[in-house]
Amino acid sequence: MKRYLSNPLAIILFITPTLGLFTIFVFSSILKVFYYSFFDWNGVGTAVFTGVENYSKLFSSSTFATANANGFKFALVITVYQLFFASIFAIAVSDRWMPFRKFFRTAYFIPVVLSVTVVCQLWTSILDADNGLLNALLRAVGSDSRQNWLGSRYGAIYALAFVNAWQWMGYQFALIVAGIKSISTEYYEAAEIDGASATRAHWHVTIPLLKETYFFCLLVSVTGGIKAFTEIQIMTGGGPGTATHTLTYIMYRAAFVSHRYGYGLAAAAVLVLECLAVILLLNYLFRDREAKQLRRLAGGKP
Amino acid sequence: MFKKAICLALAILMVMAMGTAASAEDKVVLKIYAQYADDDTKVPYDYAVEKLAEAFPNVELELIPQAQDDGATLLALAAAGNLPDIYQTGSGILSTFRESNQIMVLDDVAQSTGFLDKVYPSCETFLYADDGHIYAFPYAGQEYVLLYVNKALFAANGLEIPTTFDELKHCVEVFTAADIVPLALFGQEGWITASMYDIIATRFNAGGIKALDTGAASITDEAYVSAATVLSELTQAGLFQNGVTTTNYDQASELFKTGKAAMFLNGQWYIEDATKALGDDATWIYYPAYDAASYEAGKAVFAGGGSVSGYAVNPASPNATLAAEVAAFISEKYCEAKITLRNNPLVALDVGLTNDTLPAMMKELVAAIPAMTSTTAFTWGLTNATFTDSIGTWTQALVSGQYTVDEFVSELGEVMAGM
Repeated sequence: MKRYLSNPLAIILFITPTLGLFTIFVFSSILKVFYYSFFDWNGVGTAVFTGVENYSKLFSSSTFATANANGFKFALVITVYQLFFASIFAIAVSDRWMPFRKFFRTAYFIPVVLSVTVVCQLWTSILDADNGLLNALLRAVGSDSRQNWLGSRYGAIYALAFVNAWQWMGYQFALIVAGIKSISTEYYEAAEIDGASATRAHWHVTIPLLKETYFFCLLVSVTGGIKAFTEIQIMTGGGPGTATHTLTYIMYRAAFVSHRYGYGLAAAAVLVLECLAVILLLNYLFRDREAKQLRRLAGGKP
Repeated sequence: MFKKAICLALAILMVMAMGTAASAEDKVVLKIYAQYADDDTKVPYDYAVEKLAEAFPNVELELIPQAQDDGATLLALAAAGNLPDIYQTGSGILSTFRESNQIMVLDDVAQSTGFLDKVYPSCETFLYADDGHIYAFPYAGQEYVLLYVNKALFAANGLEIPTTFDELKHCVEVFTAADIVPLALFGQEGWITASMYDIIATRFNAGGIKALDTGAASITDEAYVSAATVLSELTQAGLFQNGVTTTNYDQASELFKTGKAAMFLNGQWYIEDATKALGDDATWIYYPAYDAASYEAGKAVFAGGGSVSGYAVNPASPNATLAAEVAAFISEKYCEAKITLRNNPLVALDVGLTNDTLPAMMKELVAAIPAMTSTTAFTWGLTNATFTDSIGTWTQALVSGQYTVDEFVSELGEVMAGM
C-alpha cells in the first residue's frame, strides 16, 4: 500500500477517471449554471445575453429575502433537532446496559429508508388543519385551538423543517453511532478511574472525540436546510403565497413554471455560493480549533 | 421422436415470432403525451384510441400520461430533444416551443383533413396563434368558471341565492354559524385561486385577469384593487374552509358533494360530477356583484374561456405528417366523446352529434351562452408564463387571509413591472 501511495503515477492513474467524470458531470454543469445565469433564456430557445439583469431582479425581489430567511430557519431547525436528538439517542444505544438496544437502533433509522413522498403524505395528514392527528390530540387535551400548521404564513416553514428533521435524524444518528463505536474503551475506563460519571465521561470524551463526525453532520444539515425543496414542493407548494419559498424553490418555479431559465439559474448560482460559503465557514471553524489543539499539544501558546 | 417434436414446435414458434415481428414492423408507433388522469380525460382518450384503430389500422399510440407539473416534463423533454410525436399543450408552452421551432405549423394538415371546416366560428379565435398560424388542434370549446351551489343547504338555512357581495357575506355568516363551509376551494392549486379572484375582478372590469396578462390593465387600477379588497374581506369573514391553501381538489370536492360545503368553484366540466353527487340540489349561479345593477350587467361576463391549445406535433418526428393527421383525428374524436360520453357539448368542433340527455345545469349553461358578451381566461390560457405563475401565487396568498391587499397589489405590481 505504501508503495502505491508514494508513487505519483499510480495516484494520478487512480484519480484521473473519477476526476474526469466529476469535471464532466459536476464541475462543467456548475460552470454552465453561472454562464447561463447571465442570459435571458427559456430553456429551449435562443439565449440572449442580459448581463447581471437576472441577479439585479433576484436581489430586488422580496421573495429572495423570504427565501433566504426560510433557508436559514430550515437549516437552524434541522441542525439543532438532528444533532441534539441524534447525539442523545446514539449515546443511549451505545450504552451496554441499555435494554432493547438493537430495536431502538433500527427504529430510529426507519424514517430514513422511507420514501420522502410517503413521509410527506403521512405528515400532511397529521398536520391537517381540520382532520389532522395533531390538532385532534390538542383537542383531546382540552385545547380549542385549531392550528393551521401548513397554511400559516409564519409557521409553515418550521412545520416543514420539522418533517425533514424527523425523517433524516436517523442518518445523523447512524453516523454518530459509528463514530462512538470507533472510540477506544480505554478513554472511558480512564474517566471511570478518575471518578467521572457516565454523563461527564460522554461530555468530556465522546463529544470532543466526535468532532470530525459532527463536522460532517453539520455540513449535511446546514447545506440541506439551505437547499430545502422536496417537503415544500409536496406539502405546501411554496405557499401560502411565497411564505415557504426557498432559493431552490425559486429556481424550480422560475425554470419550469415561468420558463425563465436564466433567472432560475441566477438563483441556483446564489445557492451554490451560499453552500460554498457555509462549507468554507465550517472548515475554517473546525480547522482553527484543530490548529489550536496542535499548538497546545506542541507546548506553544494557544 | 420426442426430439423431433420439440424441434418442430420450436420451428413453428420461430416462424410465428417472425410473423408477429413483421406485422409489428408494419405498424407505426407514435408517442403521445396526453392527459390521462380522471374520467374527463380517460374516457375521451380511450374512445379516440378505439376509433383510431379503425381509421388508422397501421398506427399504434404509445401513451405517456401527462404529469400535473405545469409543463415541466414537457419542457425537460424538449430541452433534451426527446419530445414525443404528439403532445397536448397550452398557450404558455406553445409560445415557448414556437421560439425554439419545436412545434409544427399545422395549417396545411388542418386544411387537408377537413379540420378547419368543422371548427365552430366562436372557437376560431383559439385555433390561430397571434402570428396567424395553427400550432395545435383544439377540442375544448369555450369553458367557464362556474360557482356551484347546493340549493338544499341554502333553503335549509333560510338563505336566498346571493346576488351581491353583501348578501354573500350574510350567507357566509349564517353558514359559518351552522358549521357549514360557505365555499370549498381547492386553494392548493393556483389556477383556482386565480379564478376566484377573476370572478370578482370581472364584476369591476370585464377583462378580468386576461386584461392584466395582455397589459391592457394594471393591478393598481381601481377595479383590481377593489376586487382584491372584496376577496380579502370575504376571506376574513370566513368564506373558505380552514387550511384552504393546503386543500386539494379531492378534499374540496368531497366537502361539496357530501353537503358539508354550500358552494364550490370549478370549471363547467364539473357539472357531471356535481349532478351525480347532489342531483337537482346542485346548480350554478351567476357571480355575485357589488350591487343589483352590476349583477344584472355582469350576467353576460364570465370568467374562464377558451385558449390556443390542444394536440400539437413535434416537427422533428420521423412521421410528422402522419402524426399531424392523427392529432387532428384524435381532437375530433375527443369532441365526439365529450358530447356523447361526458355530456359536455362545449367543444371546438361541429362533429354533427347532439346529446338530448344533458344534465339540467348544462342545459342552463348552453341557454345562457348566446347572451354572453365576453369571457376572460383560465390560467393555462394566459400568454405570459411569469404572470401566470404570479397570479396563482399571490391570489393564493390573498385567500389565505394572511396577506394584505397592499401586499397583494405591490407584489403583483413588482412582477408585472418586470414582465
